[in-house]
Amino acid sequence: MATIATGLRHAKCAGSTAAAQWRSAMLPRSSFTLAIRSITSDSHKTTTPPSLEAEAAASVPIPYQGITHARVVPATPSYFSREPQFNDLYIGISKLLTKYNHLPTVPPSEAPQMPWTKLEEMRAQMGEPIKASHYAKVMRVAKRLNLIEPSLRPQEVKVALTEFTRDINPFLNMPNPITIDKFGRAVGVGKRKESTARAFVVEGTGEVLVNGKTLSEAFGRVHDRESAVWALTATQRLDKYNVWALVEGGGTTGQAEAITLAVAKALVAHEPALKPALRRAGCITRDPRTVERKKHGHVKARKMPAWVKR
Amino acid sequence: MAKYSIHNLAKIGSLTPKTVTSLTAELSQMSIESDARRQVQENIRRLKDIGSYRGRRHAMGLPVRGQRTRTQTATANKLNRVDRRA
Amino acid sequence: MASISLRSLVRPSLPVAPRIQPIIAAFSTTSLVSAAAPPAIKSRKDLPKKTKKTYKKKQNIVPVKKPGPGERKAFRKRIQLSNNSALPVAGLDKLEAQTMARAESGGRMFAVPDEVVDRLRALEAFKSTQTWNLFRKPHVLVRKETVELMSRLEASVEKKEAFKCVLTGSRLSGKSLMLLQAMSYALLNEWVVIHIPEGQDLTNGNTEYSPVPDTEPMQFTQPVYCLKLLQNIYKANKAVLEKTPLKQDWTRLSATLKPGSTLADLALSAKESEFAWPTLSALWTELTLPGQPPVLFALDGLAHINKVSAYRDPAFNPVHAHELLLVRTFVDALSGKTKLPNGGAVIAATSENNTHKHPSQELALSQLEAGQAGKPVPQPDPYERKYDDRVYDALKNSTVMRLEGVSKDEARVLMEYWGASGMLRSVLDSRVVAEKWALGGHGIVGEMERASLMTMRV
Repeated sequence: MATIATGLRHAKCAGSTAAAQWRSAMLPRSSFTLAIRSITSDSHKTTTPPSLEAEAAASVPIPYQGITHARVVPATPSYFSREPQFNDLYIGISKLLTKYNHLPTVPPSEAPQMPWTKLEEMRAQMGEPIKASHYAKVMRVAKRLNLIEPSLRPQEVKVALTEFTRDINPFLNMPNPITIDKFGRAVGVGKRKESTARAFVVEGTGEVLVNGKTLSEAFGRVHDRESAVWALTATQRLDKYNVWALVEGGGTTGQAEAITLAVAKALVAHEPALKPALRRAGCITRDPRTVERKKHGHVKARKMPAWVKR
Repeated sequence: MAKYSIHNLAKIGSLTPKTVTSLTAELSQMSIESDARRQVQENIRRLKDIGSYRGRRHAMGLPVRGQRTRTQTATANKLNRVDRRA
Repeated sequence: MASISLRSLVRPSLPVAPRIQPIIAAFSTTSLVSAAAPPAIKSRKDLPKKTKKTYKKKQNIVPVKKPGPGERKAFRKRIQLSNNSALPVAGLDKLEAQTMARAESGGRMFAVPDEVVDRLRALEAFKSTQTWNLFRKPHVLVRKETVELMSRLEASVEKKEAFKCVLTGSRLSGKSLMLLQAMSYALLNEWVVIHIPEGQDLTNGNTEYSPVPDTEPMQFTQPVYCLKLLQNIYKANKAVLEKTPLKQDWTRLSATLKPGSTLADLALSAKESEFAWPTLSALWTELTLPGQPPVLFALDGLAHINKVSAYRDPAFNPVHAHELLLVRTFVDALSGKTKLPNGGAVIAATSENNTHKHPSQELALSQLEAGQAGKPVPQPDPYERKYDDRVYDALKNSTVMRLEGVSKDEARVLMEYWGASGMLRSVLDSRVVAEKWALGGHGIVGEMERASLMTMRV
């Protein structure tokens, strides 16, 4: 996708340099309107292939024929800036903001979620060394435009905002919901540290088996046992469900807390209303802490070798 | 110890008089303490007297059986004497 | 010349710009104002006195009294059966002779009578690992398995046949406690109780042993241990032994034994360790004669008496534990070689805390268990070389009783007792019971205690 985009851009640039010079030469007054690329016209440009543009240019009767020297006028005044495309983008979006500043807005929490283009991605797309502060400025404007009440949002703004979004929307990338199978089981998967656990939760009387062993056989520490069934204890459901868990990898703490997560996920499949309670109990979020890697020149992750004189 | 059925944690006081006597008899058969020491010294002196390499090493207080001498000769220094004490 | 050159090397002192200092001072005018002026020096005594610095620490080290020899071990092994901080639990019945054998007492808590407690203590039936020290008085839960075992004991007296049993089960599931219940049943019913509290003590080579002459392979007695055991037997069973007259003539052991004397006299006749084993075997022979009271012979830690012991014979060969005469007595009784014509029981309990891997015992027990349940009997592992036929012979005639977790109803009764003792603060409902039941590995009593009584959380 990115390669196609860049290819198109190159073609467009080549076309504009080939054609626009002539046009600007023949219509010196209209160069201002042409040079300031509004976002809409820009998006049209990207969609129209350069060959068409060249034909259009060719169909225009060319005056001043035989003139040997023509002054090359760039398509946009931003041509002389460090980041011409980005600059144009900024000018366009700022104009939109001044134009639609009067429209009602919604609080940020209610604004539609947008997969904003990251700084790195924008740099790669445009091939321009965009400064982080400039990027932040532009994004502030874009996010302000995004706050416009969605039903009142003009088409122009919608199109303009697509420039600032990624092609893939990660917010649509949702895990498949856990279903309850014909045996009444819900399978949850949980991880913690190096451990992975699968928990099969069925309605029952409060029996818990971990790898076929009872809790006391599976975990020597009482704390580990408690944390393994914490999702059920915290929601007062321990006597209502049976758990069959398979867990592998890691140590006892990791295994126990992986089971917590797995059981919580499966429990949410049975009773979705418990999700806030489980989140408050800390059973929904996967704990991302893992062992920090060892670095070269260090004895461990952070420890440095003892300083030795000479 | 097993010969007289003395268990691991036995104390001298807990042994029966019979066991003690038989232990004494057994020990009197062995050459221990000064006898054994004298025996060792005699052996070393013999090596020295016949002028063997082992005798010389004993006299110099160096390792006798071809160990390295660059380092780690503390035990040899301590033990390899003509008039060996320990 | 030299001084001039040196002075020239000295960095020339630049005059400080006069405005710098007042500005700095301006930042701390308040402290300057508030700070008290130092006292004016008028005479020599106003000068600051030099204090002599001492680096020695003051000698205030209190000598720590170190515990005497054996004191630490005694503290570690002490058995505390009551706790004045715990609340007394009223309204629970006391154990009586036939209480535990009745089906309706299953799933209830009972108090152990004081005189039985004393005798059980003499038998070393209480373990320091059990949580007696959390409660005011010893109480026991009569569970389903208890009733089953006690009714078997009851039947054995009627049938005049020994009930041979091995208690097994997972860790902390109450095997030793079941043994204690069997002993209290026996004591309440005027049986003679012999208890070896730890099988390990016999075989780890820490007690004296002496060979028995003219035996092939050589057999050994353990005089000091036997003497202690005899004294414990006497202490615990004094009333029964004093009632029972001797049936055989044992004057060759001791001149004090007359034809009309009792078993108590026999037990007391051994004053020195040399005569302990002959007296103990005489007592055992007497007890296996018809017409004497029934006997309960109990042992904890079965795996240790089924292995090759730490002892060596005079030729320095390892001695199998079954060659130790006291162990052999137990094993013969367990295998049915020695009959108990008055009824009684031989009960061995395996231990999970203090044990080692014992393939042949595990195999024998699993085979017996499968045979009882009518399931396919597990086959020996063809790659295992350490199977011991003697173990199989010792165990083959016994019943295996497996102890696992208690049911939720029993757990509730137990937890109510804990609550009544003030050990469990939370409100007891079925949810809490189910939670502790699950945390305790499906009702393993010891694990439930760990999860609910031994956590610091209130």
